[in-house]
Amino acid sequence: MNTQMLLITIACTGLLAASCATTAPQELVNARNAYQQASNGPASQVAQAELHVAHKALTTAEQSFRDYPDSYRTLDLAYVAQRKSELAEATASIVNERRNQAQAKEDFTETQGRIVEKTKKNLSQTQGALADSERSGKVVADKLQAEKVARAKAEQETADALAALAKLAAVKNEARGMVITLSGSVLFASNQSALLPEAKTRLDQVVAVLLTTRERKLVVEGHTDSQGSDSFNLDLSQRRADSVRDYLVQSGYEGDLVVAHGMGEGHPVADNGAPEGRANNRRVEIIIERAPQTANQ
Amino acid sequence: MRTVFRIGNAVFAVAILATALVAGCATVPLRTEASTSGIRAAEEVGASQVPRAALHLQLAKEELKKAEALAADGRKEQAKSQLMRAEADAELAVALSRESAEKTAAQDAVERVRKLRQDNE
Repeated sequence: MNTQMLLITIACTGLLAASCATTAPQELVNARNAYQQASNGPASQVAQAELHVAHKALTTAEQSFRDYPDSYRTLDLAYVAQRKSELAEATASIVNERRNQAQAKEDFTETQGRIVEKTKKNLSQTQGALADSERSGKVVADKLQAEKVARAKAEQETADALAALAKLAAVKNEARGMVITLSGSVLFASNQSALLPEAKTRLDQVVAVLLTTRERKLVVEGHTDSQGSDSFNLDLSQRRADSVRDYLVQSGYEGDLVVAHGMGEGHPVADNGAPEGRANNRRVEIIIERAPQTANQ
Repeated sequence: MRTVFRIGNAVFAVAILATALVAGCATVPLRTEASTSGIRAAEEVGASQVPRAALHLQLAKEELKKAEALAADGRKEQAKSQLMRAEADAELAVALSRESAEKTAAQDAVERVRKLRQDNE
């Protein structure tokens, strides 16, 4: 019994001693874990030199642990090995952050280049649009200038035409427009509405002038003296006005622009009591309406 | 008598030599240059501003002090071993400071790109 107890005690003591000998100190456990972590991380790719140093430090600590498990030197070597693994990880992190910086700088340059290109393109488009706008502005200005010249020319032509008319017939500027008065005795035989041959010669001269202002409306009015009945005079004046109108249209004036009115004896310009007065009252008036006012004038 | 005197002289010389040797060993100063320069480097790169780096800088300083105390106590080998800890912590403090600076620079660079794109695209 005593022998058995002694054997058990020896066995227990042996086991205890063995376990003490094989239990690594906390420093060494930490160093092993730190190396494990570092070698599984990015350090294995980008900090291989530092990881190698950490591995050597751990190997030295392990060797020291095997040779002198309880020595302060084993603890210190294990502590240093842990720091070397942590250093490898920090170094890997530095390398990665520098790569991130380089990538960001590259992105910055690339983005900047794209922005410059875009700005150049926009600028070019703006310049193009500006040039177009200038060109179209010039076109408008040229057009306005041409219109101005044309208007001045037309006004001059009208003035010239009116001056020429004044030589052919009585011309008066009234509120209703320019009134050209042609004597009835020159145009028609007594009580007739057919134009006399010499009347046509006279009218041709008037028409030539009127055609220079062919865009204006014309009113042809026939007037008689007070001899004869009103209805006869009204009818005669209408037929005479129609004759003149037809002649104008035949000569090239736009038919839509010419209207004929028989006015009868109701609008005398002179005394019907005297032969000269009646001669003046027998007449055809061609009224040229005033030029329409345009926005540009 | 002469022989005895000679032996006495030799013993005396050996004793002097041994004493000098022991005294010399005891007074060789602890080589702390690596630790102190490591600590200075860590301070220069701003380790005290980065929490993890500041911790290791502090550890390095304490380990250096402990090594000096051990040396003063005549435990020279243990002091040298302790100095290895101080050097390792100082070196790690420098690396952690640099890591933090590089990280900040990388974040700034990414932010600059983001802002450039936001403002122009």
